[in-house]
Amino acid sequence: MIAHEETAGLIDRLPCGFVSFSDDGTVKAVNTTLIEMLGLESEKVVGHHVETILTVGSRIFYQTHLFPLLRMHGHAEEIFIMLRAADGHDEAALLNAVRRQEGEDWLTYCILIRVRERRKFEEALLRAKKEAEAARETLDAHRKELELANAQLEEQALELELSQHQLNEHATELEVLNQVLQERSAELETQRTIAQDANQAKSAFLAAMSHELRTPLNAIGGYVQLIELGIHGAVTPAQAEALARIARSQRHLLRLINEVLNLAKIEAGTVNYEVRPIVLREIVNSVFPMIEPQVHERGLTSEIDVSPELVALADRDKTEQVLLNLLSNAVKFTNAGGCIRIVSGSTSGPPRQVWLQVEDTGVGIRPDKLAQVFDPFVQVDVRADRRAEGTGLGLAISRDLALGMKGQLSVESVLGQGSEFRLTLPAA
Amino acid sequence: MSVSRAHERIVTRNNVRVSGSGTQPMLWAHGFGCDQNMWRYVAPAFEVDHKVILFDYVGSGRSDLRSYDAERYSTLEGYAEDILDICHALDLRDVIFVGHSVSGMIGVLAANREPELFDRLVLLGPSPRYVNDLPDYQGGFERPDLEGLLQMMDSNYIGWANFLAPVIVKNADRPELAEELEASFCSTDPIVARRFAEATFFADNRADAAKVTVPSLILQCADDSIAPQSVGEHLHETMKGSTYRLLDVTGHCPQLSHPSATIDAIREYLSRSSSAPKE
Repeated sequence: MIAHEETAGLIDRLPCGFVSFSDDGTVKAVNTTLIEMLGLESEKVVGHHVETILTVGSRIFYQTHLFPLLRMHGHAEEIFIMLRAADGHDEAALLNAVRRQEGEDWLTYCILIRVRERRKFEEALLRAKKEAEAARETLDAHRKELELANAQLEEQALELELSQHQLNEHATELEVLNQVLQERSAELETQRTIAQDANQAKSAFLAAMSHELRTPLNAIGGYVQLIELGIHGAVTPAQAEALARIARSQRHLLRLINEVLNLAKIEAGTVNYEVRPIVLREIVNSVFPMIEPQVHERGLTSEIDVSPELVALADRDKTEQVLLNLLSNAVKFTNAGGCIRIVSGSTSGPPRQVWLQVEDTGVGIRPDKLAQVFDPFVQVDVRADRRAEGTGLGLAISRDLALGMKGQLSVESVLGQGSEFRLTLPAA
Repeated sequence: MSVSRAHERIVTRNNVRVSGSGTQPMLWAHGFGCDQNMWRYVAPAFEVDHKVILFDYVGSGRSDLRSYDAERYSTLEGYAEDILDICHALDLRDVIFVGHSVSGMIGVLAANREPELFDRLVLLGPSPRYVNDLPDYQGGFERPDLEGLLQMMDSNYIGWANFLAPVIVKNADRPELAEELEASFCSTDPIVARRFAEATFFADNRADAAKVTVPSLILQCADDSIAPQSVGEHLHETMKGSTYRLLDVTGHCPQLSHPSATIDAIREYLSRSSSAPKE
């Protein structure tokens, strides 16, 4: 214990704990305040290691920090330390110490003040400080996020403006294009009118020309006949042969002129169509007898399968003309033993239509020529011995007539097997 | 020795102090909680026949805090690199490494990486692992104990060090105030100290100790609550070529509490094996 008697009692009852120990940690003295603070027995502390009154964490702290500090600096102030009470609970304390030489030994004198209440206050402050810092960090983070979002929004606004610009430019471009298209349209309209006028002019010209051509041809025909009749003297067989050839040519020329005139009239739009309901069966019945003699003559068979219920809205004469043309062609291009068929049908549309189809087992039409069969002056003839009859205008006229009646003329054909020509007309 | 920029950088960074008139270098590594000052009663005794090199780990003492890298110094490997950096910067050979407490294992790590640099290791109160690994290994502590230590450090640093920082700056014309503060705790930065504590007390270097090839001295204190005898003995068994010497000392810092005994023990070991050929 401490040497001076008077101060011994004073130290013993100081309002703080007191402990002294040597360098190796052996406790030399403790005061009553400390003993009572920790619920210890004096003899369990004095002579034992000072670690006895420390928690394990404090022991490590003492060995690694406090003792070196005391040894090298000779004093320590306001050190926070945790003390271990006898019943196992911990007491927070503040330590002041000084290390002094006492004779041969060095002793460390410590006072310990309990900081239980103070500690609560400090911890609350520290907590508040940490929370404030955390809140500030969160705010900073939020602010950064907002700044980022703001920057992004600005970027997007800029992009929108750009897009707007582009859209405006496109709109302008489209307007220009529209202008151009309108101008082209007008041009095309003009050209169409010009073409139509030209076509009509051509047709008018042809009509006038055919008349001029027909007159001398009639004269030729007339005089040939007279000579053939012997009006101008006897005719030798050789002369008769020659006259016959002249007559054939004259007839061909006449036919050609008539048909050209016909075509011109149709194209000029000067043909009148008398459109009324016509029974297809009746058309067939009146036209077929006209080619029946040639059918027998050429050794062909025929078949008619036309429904009596089909009624078209069309011009009777023109329809008969077309049918006659199709049948003549069928007969012309089918060899002996072949067959001619006339069939019919209807479509529900819209529009509602009826049709007549002339089928033959003739020579057929080459696929690459199929598209041209309706062109004027085209004769598609695959036969080796070309007996060029006809003008090549028949199908052209028939097609125009069909179109004129709001119908259609179409063909399907297989080379060597035959052809099918279909006249389609509006149903009544 | 060439004075290169790298040399100067390391010397400044680790507050390296070189003294002594001998040739063979002795590198003294402080432990956790302190700085090179802890050798002041022991190291000077070796200046006559050695080159004495003292330093502070980055984050401790008067090292350059700006060089502190949290990731590097969160494991003991980072501290071992400081050792090797100093050896390279000063171009040291045949180093006698003296390490206190955790620096024992730091030295082990450095020696395992570059054994050719080291002549011998002197380990004061070493421990390869502080946390118990029952049933076979008693490190002496459980996790809650170490949490208690960390709380102690928090309460002694963070509480006032941060608040006082501005005061230090403003009182540049009163340098003794800063020095006073610096001297009150050996480590200056509380967060650095905490990380050093975690790196130290949650490490497990038993396997590293077993790999040491450099001859070593284990100086064990008889009554040391941080590094108890069972730990020292265990270490001696795992470290081949190690010598075990028991110091009749209570406490963990014989270089502070019993400097003469410490000096004698080291000198005796060094003289004994200095003539022995290196294996």
